[in-house]
Amino acid sequence: MIKSYKLRRHLSNALIYIILAVLGIIWVSPFAYLLMHSFRAESTITVPYLIPHEWTFQNYIDLFNVGSGGSAAINFPRWFINTLVVAIFSCIISTISVLAVSYTFSRLRFKARKKLMNVGMILGMFPGFMTMIAIYYLLKAMNLNQNLVALVICYSCGAGLGFQISKGYFDTIPHALDEAATIDGATKNQIFWRIILPMSKPIIVYTVLTSFIGPWCDFILAKIIMGDKRELYTVAIGLQSMISPEFINEYYKQFLAGSVLVAVPITLLFLKMQKYYVEGVTAGGVKG
Amino acid sequence: MKKILAVLLAGMMAVTAFAGCGGQTTESSGSSSGSGESESTAIEVKDSIVDESVFGDENNISLKVWAPDKAVALVKQQVEDFKAAYPGKTFTKIEVVAQGEGDAGTQLLNDASVAADVFSFASDQLNKLVDAKVIADVAFKDYVTQENAPETITAATIKDTLYAYPETNDNGYYLVYDNTVVNEEQAKTLEGILEACRAAGKKFIFNCGDGFYGCTFAFTGGVKIDGFEEDGVTQKFTDYDEAEAVATLQAFSKLMHDYKGTFTSLDVAQIASGFSTGTLGAGVDGSWNTVADQDALKDKFGAAKLPTINVNGTDKQLISMFGYKYIGVNASSQFPAAAQILALYLSGEKCQEQRAEQLGWGPSNKAVQEKPVVADSPVLQAIKQQSENACVQVNIAATLWSPMGNLGNKLIAEQTNPDDAEFFKKLLKETIENIRDEG
Repeated sequence: MIKSYKLRRHLSNALIYIILAVLGIIWVSPFAYLLMHSFRAESTITVPYLIPHEWTFQNYIDLFNVGSGGSAAINFPRWFINTLVVAIFSCIISTISVLAVSYTFSRLRFKARKKLMNVGMILGMFPGFMTMIAIYYLLKAMNLNQNLVALVICYSCGAGLGFQISKGYFDTIPHALDEAATIDGATKNQIFWRIILPMSKPIIVYTVLTSFIGPWCDFILAKIIMGDKRELYTVAIGLQSMISPEFINEYYKQFLAGSVLVAVPITLLFLKMQKYYVEGVTAGGVKG
Repeated sequence: MKKILAVLLAGMMAVTAFAGCGGQTTESSGSSSGSGESESTAIEVKDSIVDESVFGDENNISLKVWAPDKAVALVKQQVEDFKAAYPGKTFTKIEVVAQGEGDAGTQLLNDASVAADVFSFASDQLNKLVDAKVIADVAFKDYVTQENAPETITAATIKDTLYAYPETNDNGYYLVYDNTVVNEEQAKTLEGILEACRAAGKKFIFNCGDGFYGCTFAFTGGVKIDGFEEDGVTQKFTDYDEAEAVATLQAFSKLMHDYKGTFTSLDVAQIASGFSTGTLGAGVDGSWNTVADQDALKDKFGAAKLPTINVNGTDKQLISMFGYKYIGVNASSQFPAAAQILALYLSGEKCQEQRAEQLGWGPSNKAVQEKPVVADSPVLQAIKQQSENACVQVNIAATLWSPMGNLGNKLIAEQTNPDDAEFFKKLLKETIENIRDEG
């Protein structure tokens, strides 16, 4: 038994740090590999060593130089813009709809309130891709398949169902504020925009972030909707097509570079909004 | 109340999902019979070009073509030639879209009405396309049969109906080697290749864990498939000599263990990469990677049919899986006659020769097979020789690949003892049972 408190504390800290460091390395290593090899100059596909021998920016340059790998069907800049556009629009629409639905469930009292909330919960239980075939044929009937608008619709129209966290947050804002505003003559609509929203920065940020990230990661739905329309692919399907057997020999390194670049807009947004993010998640979770 | 609501909602969703599928099937099967009727098989064809009357009343034609990415530029040019060959017709738009052959079938099955009218695909997808009735039968059967190699016709014929225009006769794998490491004589035997690679400190890649390549072990041992049982899904095997098959598997496993570190099982995508870094001496690679391998090896590029393996004193030729590529016509095409005529043109002698020259694709057309572009190409010759020692990739059950891949993985696994004949006997029996789904 070690008597000294100081020594004991140092030892246990050392142990904890070692474990955390090992976990950290394991967690970071794929990203480190990706980043390093996106700058690799030699060879075409994978190499049997970790650190590249020669470094270059060429993979990034090639990525934006459409046709450099020999195929006009790989058009990363176009896919990047497609995704950005879809992400921005679906982010705006879904943020507004989530907040509006949450406000309604949190502040307004109407007959079917509880039931609608339950329906929302139940619908949320089904995995999104269960209805994919139906969604595809509905969109086709509206002549919207192979179209970016279809993606915006898919990503933002169901968003209102994800109201739980922000409703939880709104519930923590005292009703006294609403009442005071009502006495001053504000309508429910004015209360939402002028009183509740300015006080809900964390949860707005959280909603913005989650709905912005969606289109960058979604693969299945986008693939089904776009089919063979390569110029309308999003980055997720586009990058996957780069490592299909047909393209992997020429595009593997560009795929690595592309994967790094996909992280850029999300990271930027995240850094900008980070201080609100943690606050938003914890605040919403307190009272659900 | 909540429960009822949940059930109701779930039910509604399920019904909508099925409604979607149902709609598609009826639609495509309907138009399939339509296009069949509009064509007769006795039409005069000369140099893959028909009389304009075959178009019927179709005009202002708009078509979509799927071709693998590498071929898009060439196919676009061939489409222009096609338009020029029919000056009396107006073509609003013929679009050529990049779509890999391996994926074409799946894409077509997803939604035939937005898919291409004319598409390239690999022979293994034919069955499911025919089952789903999304592929139209060939309108110019007599001409196509007479122009192309008989095996490519047989493989595309199901119950006396020819379903696709043969495009290539090269969809398989062969031996690629660095001729500074392995010489021509050594490339004839697996033992020679491995010895040469080990001596040079380089690797040999054979993707054992993928059933497409892994089936080689069983096939070399004398196991043969013979289409389907009567149920149409269970793979049928001919009788084989178990002792011989087991001895062959043991011989493979022994080589893998004797040359541990040299004989590696990696994805074929690693082969071109391995040649360019100089870590690889030889590999068994697919014909579609030829250009990448040639770029990596340049003057050192060597190609041959698969080697032999010595089983108890006799050299046995490795038997591979081998397929063809076809051009199919979408049964729900808006312009069925024009689509057939375009497919006929694209699969014709002139187009096949251009593809052999510019893309290195092995032709199925008998006349092109005799031409110097094929006869003088070591790669196409290697593929041709291997095709004579191969199992044709048609009527293959979907359950074949995983058990065959598993067999390959077991052969190379470290804990496997190559001398344990009982183990291999059991492994082979289980593999066949799993393929036939009897396990």
